Amino acid sequence: MDKSNNTWFKSGAPWVWMSAAGVTISLISVVGLLWLIASRGLTYFWPAPIHQFDIKDELGKEYTVIGEIYDVEQIPASQLAHTAIDLTGKESVERLLVKTGNRELVSLDFRWLVEPLIVAQSEPENVAVIERRTNGNFYGFIEELYIEGKKVDVAQLPEFVERVDNLQEQISELQKSDIMSINYELERIRLNRRKDELNKELTKARNAQYDSDVAALKADYNELESELNALRAQVQRDHIVVRAMGGERVNINLEQVIEISFHNKMGVIAKFGHFLKQIGKFIGDDPREANTEGGVFPAIFGTVLMVLLMTVIVSPLGVVAAIYLHEYAGKNALTKLLRIAVINLAGVPSIVYGVFGLGFFVYMVGGSLDQIFYPESLPSPTFGSPGVMWSAITLAILTLPVVIVSTEEGLARIPSSMRHGSLALGATKAETLWRIILPLASPAIMTGIILAIARAAGEVAPLMLVGVVKMAPTLPLDGNFPFLHLERKFMHLGFHIYDVGFQSPNVEAARPLVYATALLLVTIIVALNMTAVSIRNRLREKYRALEH
Amino acid sequence: MLNLKPEIAMPGQSTIDINALEQDQVALEIKNLNLHYGDKKALNNISMKIPKGQVTAFIGPSGCGKSTLLRCINRMNDLIDVCHIDGEINLHGENIYGKHVDVAQLRRKVGMVFQRPNPFPKSIYENVVYGLRLIGEKNRRVLDEACEKSLRAAALWDEVKDRIHESALGLSGGQQQRLVIARAIAIEPEVLLLDEPTSALDPISTLVIEELITELKKKYTVVIVTHNMQQAARVSDQTAFMYMGDLIEYTDTNTLFTTPLKKKTEDYITGRYG
Repeated sequence: MDKSNNTWFKSGAPWVWMSAAGVTISLISVVGLLWLIASRGLTYFWPAPIHQFDIKDELGKEYTVIGEIYDVEQIPASQLAHTAIDLTGKESVERLLVKTGNRELVSLDFRWLVEPLIVAQSEPENVAVIERRTNGNFYGFIEELYIEGKKVDVAQLPEFVERVDNLQEQISELQKSDIMSINYELERIRLNRRKDELNKELTKARNAQYDSDVAALKADYNELESELNALRAQVQRDHIVVRAMGGERVNINLEQVIEISFHNKMGVIAKFGHFLKQIGKFIGDDPREANTEGGVFPAIFGTVLMVLLMTVIVSPLGVVAAIYLHEYAGKNALTKLLRIAVINLAGVPSIVYGVFGLGFFVYMVGGSLDQIFYPESLPSPTFGSPGVMWSAITLAILTLPVVIVSTEEGLARIPSSMRHGSLALGATKAETLWRIILPLASPAIMTGIILAIARAAGEVAPLMLVGVVKMAPTLPLDGNFPFLHLERKFMHLGFHIYDVGFQSPNVEAARPLVYATALLLVTIIVALNMTAVSIRNRLREKYRALEH
Repeated sequence: MLNLKPEIAMPGQSTIDINALEQDQVALEIKNLNLHYGDKKALNNISMKIPKGQVTAFIGPSGCGKSTLLRCINRMNDLIDVCHIDGEINLHGENIYGKHVDVAQLRRKVGMVFQRPNPFPKSIYENVVYGLRLIGEKNRRVLDEACEKSLRAAALWDEVKDRIHESALGLSGGQQQRLVIARAIAIEPEVLLLDEPTSALDPISTLVIEELITELKKKYTVVIVTHNMQQAARVSDQTAFMYMGDLIEYTDTNTLFTTPLKKKTEDYITGRYG
């Protein structure tokens, strides 16, 4: 017995089992995490059935509740002992959380229903879910449709919803591009005038020129504004009358309506179409109502832009530093000390980098830049306030050690025969580096960049100090020269999760949105990483034969 | 290049006396060369003249300093921090360890081929023209011609002419070593140093390389380090036997292998040690 035990131990089998167990645990945690956020996040987009509950409460009052079931839980009957509900013979009671919407009628979006009070439950076919621009969803039965004040058949509704949609699009186009660029121009003229004033170059002729430019722009602006007002009047023309769950008849202007859908009428295919459409809106639209509704496009854009900027900054810097440390610095105690310092930088908490970024980059460097290059816009800061560039630079500093360490490892792995071969052909050290060593080290450099991207894309804490905001009115990239506005603040998915999940007025409603946003963030990071990994693999393939 | 001395072109049958060389017959002159790795002496007062247009072989047991001596000739030992050299090596009467010598320039004149083939992870073409690109040659036609000429000279052209733009890493070991030779001669050096060029190759590839060496000496002065005494006997005109950092005996190959003067040489070539 003892002997066979010993051979089993010697065979290495226990180690194999242990390492396999380690892999299994890692795998389960990763899959579990993805499953949780994917299931919770994606169900948010799936059109849930709308239930109608007929309730008779403990006082004998009868009413109807219409909404989506959000959550079901069991509570011990003792918790309801103080109420007059008849609970004889029951250990526990089922309790439903129902999203009822209709914010103008009931103050809360959600309501708990206790199972024994439900008299009847049904899924009426023609209950409509009306997604609105403000005030959240409305659940009810559409009764009448008024076009230009005249009552028409409700069947024509989709056509008029689409009309409103087109008009709204025109309005936002007008506001976002034309009117905004006029405002941008006006601001530029104001700054130029101020600049001339500061330089004492503001001649009468120039002033007059500015005045006439402003007048021209103002005229354009007025024209656009009247166009806008006309569109607004058009958009507000029609309305519907909806009967809510309490029997109240509510007027809803079509201007407010984004989409009307009948979840209970949909087949699986229609539901899937709706699901995809909702996901598309989530990815492509701007947020509404303090980020609790609508999409997250600006946050996606901000995250990706910031990470790309960071990569552009950190890669050359890290590679150059690694080359110096590995190739040129003397092999002495100082170099060793430097190397240890670089490695330890990776262990500094990220918020510390945020504090450093705010103090050094934003206030010192940014403040000085403003003094030198943008004196005309002072006292309002240009680069002297948090922005996307400072965020990218701060994260570049944060991820620098990662790039340096892996580049150095890559340089160390290159066989010396390559260097010697090149040197023996009359190449200098610099030529050898540039033509032979760097291409060979490129997979290792890419590994460093991958790790840097992975770290930077998930970082939120330092960004809160150096550039991320809850709601950025404009993207850092637009049609106004110079197109990329690095001084602007931006939105970030990581911060968006925090903001929606913990700072929003309705945390319960926002919870699925938190999961959906988290899923999106993970997807984006994985996508960025996969791109980098595929580039690295291509490079590796190219130099594979060398890795004996 | 015109071969002015046809009688010395015969392998292993040198008729010149290396101890009485005319100045214009000398390619390299090593004078009182000492080399230390830190405190350890690796080369002890070496003096020798290496004749032009011939193959000179360095033989000796492992660690005798033959490779070290070879690396001194194109200053590859400069890469080792603890290496300290005194003495002279004259290439055309000019000391390569002089103050104002451009090492990169020197290495263009003294090419080197290493023990293991070390093609760069580029195409065959790019490998061959690497040295030319370094000196700024951009003319496509010049590069193409040089590539073909060098590959032909290295007896590789016929095997690779259809795939010179494919990766050099796909070649066999023997082909890679000939490619490395082609790469070295593409920049037309004066001296070619071969550091055990066949020790990592199979017998057939070895034979091809040996034939190549006899061809090469028509144009270049070749210095070869080898472990293999038969190889030295086959390809070289002169042979130097080294032992423990000393140059024991240096004479024409026939004499060294048939009637060695020193006891140590005889012991080594008869296989009593090494």
